[in-house]
Amino acid sequence: MSDDRAMLTDVATGLFRDLCTPEDVVAAEATGWSERLWSALAESGFPYVSVPEEAGGSGGDIADACALLTVAGRFAAPVPLAETGLLGGWLLAAAGLELPEGPLSVAVGRPGDAVELAGGPGAWRLTARVQRVPWGGRSERVALLADAGGDRYVVSAPVASAGVTGGRNLAAEPRDTLEWTDAGLPDDAVGVAPAGVTGDALRLRGALSRAALISGALARVSELTVRYTGERHQFGRPIARFQAVQTHLVTIAEEAQMAGLATEVATLNARPEPGFFDVAAAKAAASEAATIAARASHQAHGAIGMTKEYELGQLSRRLWSWRDEFGSERYWSRELGRQLAEAGADELWPRISTGLGNA
Amino acid sequence: MQFGPTPLSPAEAALRAEVREFLAAELPPDHRPALGFAGRHDPAFSRKLAARGWVGMALPPEYGGHGRSAVERFVVAEELLAAGAPVGAHFVADRQTGPALLHYGTEEQRQRFLPGISAGEIYFSLGMSEPDSGSDLASVRTRATRVEGGWTVTGTKVWTSEAHNNHFFAVLCRTSPMEEGKKHAGLSQLIVDLHADGVRISPIPYIDGSHHFNEVALEDVFVPDDMVLGEIGSGWQQVTSELAYERSGPDRWLSTFPVLREFLREKAGTGVSDEEATVVGRLAARFWAIRQLSLSVARALDAGAAPAIEAALVKEVGTRFEQDLVEALRVAAETELDQGSGSLFGELLAEAVLTSPKYTLQGGTTEILRSVAAKGLSA
Ligand SMILES: Cc1cc2nc3c(=O)[nH]c(=O)nc-3n(C[C@H](O)[C@H](O)[C@H](O)COP(=O)(O)OP(=O)(O)OC[C@H]3O[C@@H](n4cnc5c(N)ncnc54)[C@H](O)[C@@H]3O)c2cc1C
Repeated sequence: MSDDRAMLTDVATGLFRDLCTPEDVVAAEATGWSERLWSALAESGFPYVSVPEEAGGSGGDIADACALLTVAGRFAAPVPLAETGLLGGWLLAAAGLELPEGPLSVAVGRPGDAVELAGGPGAWRLTARVQRVPWGGRSERVALLADAGGDRYVVSAPVASAGVTGGRNLAAEPRDTLEWTDAGLPDDAVGVAPAGVTGDALRLRGALSRAALISGALARVSELTVRYTGERHQFGRPIARFQAVQTHLVTIAEEAQMAGLATEVATLNARPEPGFFDVAAAKAAASEAATIAARASHQAHGAIGMTKEYELGQLSRRLWSWRDEFGSERYWSRELGRQLAEAGADELWPRISTGLGNA
Repeated sequence: MQFGPTPLSPAEAALRAEVREFLAAELPPDHRPALGFAGRHDPAFSRKLAARGWVGMALPPEYGGHGRSAVERFVVAEELLAAGAPVGAHFVADRQTGPALLHYGTEEQRQRFLPGISAGEIYFSLGMSEPDSGSDLASVRTRATRVEGGWTVTGTKVWTSEAHNNHFFAVLCRTSPMEEGKKHAGLSQLIVDLHADGVRISPIPYIDGSHHFNEVALEDVFVPDDMVLGEIGSGWQQVTSELAYERSGPDRWLSTFPVLREFLREKAGTGVSDEEATVVGRLAARFWAIRQLSLSVARALDAGAAPAIEAALVKEVGTRFEQDLVEALRVAAETELDQGSGSLFGELLAEAVLTSPKYTLQGGTTEILRSVAAKGLSA
């Protein structure tokens, strides 16, 4: 990791350690929000890492933003860190739109979502229904992609003018449905999307963000499980001495390392944008790792892991949610397999053996 | 944990391009890929590879080797295995016995063996397992007794891969009686000529009908003092560090890769269904991820680290994946297995199903690796 990035994650780790304890996470689950954590993050500029400074962001690149998300995942941080910068901030900045003061979210592109932009400069109108928007109801704006008159636009849609139907993921993180019905928009809320700013590109960034969150959570799950099984005694010895329990520890470590390294390589290769193969492989690996490691860790913990307060549940419920967001392991495996089949048998090994590129 | 992202340097990438070019020229388009390092014994191929400097890469030039890094060796090994090249003759000597001789051998032994190993001409087997000693390797009963000028060895080794084709094997044996509670003391390694008097090699038919395994009976075999490997009494430390070297290379996750490639080739005409695409994509994603772990262990070795837990994790997850791949493709292909089906994919799949139990057994079973790794994790 570069020195700058290591410093960034150190500072972020300190901040989360103070303001995002397991108790804070429990409290935030009741309301779907932690104002204290969000204001501290916003003050530090972390949410806008990877958004260029010229556009009002904090600068840095995708790898920096994902390194922060890995820390956030480790602490089960109940805030739209990925949505505000890496996803929504990217869209707004690319289209030359202003970043909002408060949290920003993004339409994730669920099947059945509909966005209609009508009118034109001076008379933009928005009719849209977008589902499972992370912290949608809590955000100030939601970034949307819309096609109108043969052009693609980025819309910074104000949540104040939307109807909000609350939804949640398994970790009680808000995943809301937002609707705008023929809502008027000022000109500074609509900008032309430049080449490369597409739904597919957003999906890659979104999947990478979830892989990074998963990596962080898995690293913590691995530590927690090693610690707990070393402390818990049954039959007169620590349960970590039982071979069957050791199997769980090893499985968790393998999956956590594999997902972590794959994701890190994908983020480091994102110069400037993440590549399809890297993201598909990293998200498929991370989502599968989430499933396997959560199962093994719960098994090793016994009943204590099933309590609301114990940290494991905060992490596993997020893993069980993030693995499906922006495409499950099955989705990405299928997309990847299609492309590989099209490229043909002789391209397979050269592709698999292309890892981290040279800077 | 020492896993970290690492790119190939331009020089390493250039080496890879050279190996790819060599393989494209050497392996005929219709060649039947070998599955894994033990797939096919082909001395002519080993010598050609050696002529390019790709055997004995880890050994220094003064012994005919090439003083290359662990990553360079990794790059060559992964290309060979991905292509299914027939590396069985020299692989064990190259991976394991050569480095052990360099480390523990006398100057005379290095002069005697290392140039031949690097030339792809001297081949070694491993003489560890016995009928009553598998995972509990320290319980071996093969015994060496001191005699004038050397030792005489008596005992039986089993599962000795390719003993009938190779020249020597390093035998783990007892050189002093086992003392209560000191099981790891009193063991030594001797280099035994597989053609010496008193060595009897009998085939043990392998599960696919081929001749791979042997029983090697040793009856009062004379081993001169200059064939003792390392210190008398240090056999256990030597063998366990040898196991650490061999643990996490591409031979622990790439063995069944050719089956996946041939699956795609077979599908070239018809395209893949959604279900098949999902299987292919998942396997490719895991190959990509596991490869990064394995490469990062090689990089750590070059930096002078001793990534023992990492190596055990890579082998544990990699060898399970080698098996996993076979079953995933079998289900996707909806075929009946037949070693003579006439389709390259079908035949490779059949071979892989028959032989894949070995991946999680040889070189330390999954269960043993887990306890090595778990002890490290909990430490
Ligand atoms: C294809 C192939 C090639 C081989 N080639 C060679 C060779 O060239 N030279 C050579 O010396 N050997 C060779 N071997 C042998 C190999 O090293 C052994 O198979 C291996 O060490 C396991 O020993 P075993 O087969 O006796 O099984 P065992 O040790 O009897 O194990 C049987 C089962 O019990 C489990 N078990 C044993 N002890 C424990 C424990 N403490 N905790 C938990 N589980 C345990 C094992 O994991 C395994 O599941 C080869 C094996 C194969 C399959």
